Amino acid sequence: MKKFLAGMLSLTFALGLTAGCSSAPTAESSSPPPAESEQATSDQPAEQSAEQSADQPPDAAQAVTLNVFSTYAGSDGNAPNYQDALAAWQQGTGNKINDTSATADETVKGRIRTDFSAGSEPDVLFYFTGADASSFLDKVLTVDEIRAQYPSYATNMREDTSPKATDGKWYAVPVNGYWENLFVNKKVLDAAGVSLPDAGYTWDQFLIDCQKIKDAGLTPIAASFVDVPHYWWELSIFNNTSPATHNTIPQDINDDAAKAWIAGMNDIKAVYDKGFFPENALSAKDEELQELFFTDQAAFLLDGSWRANTIVTRASDDDEKIDEARLAEFTVVNFPDKGLGRKSTDVIGGMSSGWYITRKAWDDPAKQAAVVDFVTFMSSDEQVSKFAGANSATALQNGVTVDEATLNSLNKEVIAIINAATAFTPAVQDAVSGDARDAMFQAIPQMLTGSVTADQLIGDFIAAFTPA
Amino acid sequence: MESMIYKKKGPLFLFLVPAFVFIIVYLFYPFIVNIINSFSVIQGLGNLPAGVNAPWYQNYVRLFQDQKFKTALVNTLWMLAGTVVFQVGLALLLSLMVDNIRKGAQFYRTVYFFPIVISAAALGLLFNMMFMMQGGMINQVLAGLGTKAVNWKEKFSIQTMLIPVMWQYVGFYFVIIVTGLNNISEDIYEAAKIDGADGIKRVRYITLPLLFNVLCTCVTLSVTGALKVFDLPWIMFPNGMPVDSTWLTGTYMYYSTFNLGDVDYGSAIAVFIVALGVIIARLANTLLKEKDY
Repeated sequence: MKKFLAGMLSLTFALGLTAGCSSAPTAESSSPPPAESEQATSDQPAEQSAEQSADQPPDAAQAVTLNVFSTYAGSDGNAPNYQDALAAWQQGTGNKINDTSATADETVKGRIRTDFSAGSEPDVLFYFTGADASSFLDKVLTVDEIRAQYPSYATNMREDTSPKATDGKWYAVPVNGYWENLFVNKKVLDAAGVSLPDAGYTWDQFLIDCQKIKDAGLTPIAASFVDVPHYWWELSIFNNTSPATHNTIPQDINDDAAKAWIAGMNDIKAVYDKGFFPENALSAKDEELQELFFTDQAAFLLDGSWRANTIVTRASDDDEKIDEARLAEFTVVNFPDKGLGRKSTDVIGGMSSGWYITRKAWDDPAKQAAVVDFVTFMSSDEQVSKFAGANSATALQNGVTVDEATLNSLNKEVIAIINAATAFTPAVQDAVSGDARDAMFQAIPQMLTGSVTADQLIGDFIAAFTPA
Repeated sequence: MESMIYKKKGPLFLFLVPAFVFIIVYLFYPFIVNIINSFSVIQGLGNLPAGVNAPWYQNYVRLFQDQKFKTALVNTLWMLAGTVVFQVGLALLLSLMVDNIRKGAQFYRTVYFFPIVISAAALGLLFNMMFMMQGGMINQVLAGLGTKAVNWKEKFSIQTMLIPVMWQYVGFYFVIIVTGLNNISEDIYEAAKIDGADGIKRVRYITLPLLFNVLCTCVTLSVTGALKVFDLPWIMFPNGMPVDSTWLTGTYMYYSTFNLGDVDYGSAIAVFIVALGVIIARLANTLLKEKDY
């Protein structure tokens, strides 16, 4: 009897240990994986399923759970809009979303690469279209492939302005575009006796202004080179190239692109050496140093269009009522130009992200219609207008619908900057594969402190870079 | 008949099998694969090996040429020394003091043990807010005293990284040592008192010798634990900031593998960490041989 009991106990223990290894949910399973647990086996043709999903909420037996990833997370100004959209789609369709959205830092990009390699990719993802996506293009569908079965898919988008992958094909349905420019805290400028920069803001004038701000005991530029050197890297290089040549990646240390990149790095070092960045720019994270800008201690913040929403949020009370007087203390201006190939009104921007549908979800009869419906919903004119607002460009055939009466002062200034832009040039860092880029960004603090030169930095990059 | 179960070893092996299988599948197999990976060419997470390195031991040569790895190794050795001196040392000091008080001993035990139950993420944020340059707690105190803000995380990066790690685990060793102290019979102390041993002499000649085995265990645990420290330093000092000065072997391995996708080199670092751990554990066991009293 004791032997029998001992055997049974061992068997139970062994089964307990291996329970998590099972790939298929069992009847005893208390919490099976959501994607598989709630989907029903369907014999319906995909077309029929799609029509049903779009027109009426499926009953409980047909409801599916989609695994969704997006970069609408953390301090992204569209994170609340994204959550609202998820809730609306779930309520409207009866389906469920298992959301794993995260801020798109290098760790998360690594996670996405790993998920695709390991076969655990999400069903749908909102992700970058450049080199970051090149490793998984064979595991997502092109828009044309989807249209072969769902002809109306993404027909509200312009193909010519939608972002293409590194192989030139259109996979991702875009939502909102981006731009990178210089946010200004006018209160700090006033305190330092510096005039608000105008459309023809020059690099030399920028350095003079920074010196005045520093002399006034304030921090000229809020920036961290620990985790977000991207913006300074991009714009400094842009200042030494032109819209036509900016997206050329160096192949040799002596080519024009390499020389421009080296000059750009040296520009950042010159600003660092003058003490225009915070004293702890090499030892504090970006969100910590952004606080200097939001709390009237730093004058300039070089960032992406998404930061406009953060500024509005920071100028609002707990009930989301905007303090217009406070908001009017912030604005956005063109990044100063060096008078080489780029005009100050030439802007880094465009569309570099979009909604992908993975082959894994497409090949699952229970999910195919749902993922198409989900992307159609998230890229509808209504949702895109909400996400893009007045702050960014879109690929919508009919453009965004914005109620001008609802625009705040920062929105209006952003529209003025966008309308006055003489060129929109995609960020070259999006065309550079992750590992070589990460190593280069990681070495920027060393370059700033002088332990490596800009030439070495770019030389190492060229040695490590493999074109996608 | 009743004692047959103790004579027949079969059921015992049956009990051991699940745990053995678990360890084989989730520890030894990955470790062996990791050793093989360290000789292979693997760029990018999830990618299969694209052949063998040329020469096959290339990653191990690179370890000794890599300045960042040297920094990581030196910092880890500092961490190791710090854990012995400050974690075990402070824990011993605190437990001796708590053992000598009549009231509130339980209160202090709870207080000192408390950091153990707080997650590393929360502790990282807590200490970040203390050491922050702009608006950090310490700099606010300094500002109150009319002193200029100090960039703690740059000027004292190693110390700022070690302090929270030391603080976090003092309570763990404190509890072990207090338990050891409770096992020392009061009769011995009374006899020593009659012989004139009191105060420091009591600690020197009674407590410490009788605690020796417990202290050996604590030191072994702390030195091997120091090699595995990852979470708190990674939260406070991501990417070896500032300027690659705060790498530890664990954080550098993670960065190489997961951030740079240099999987084979990350595997070589992992093998090195295990080898170092085994050597140091053996060394600690040899130097601190437990004694029978």
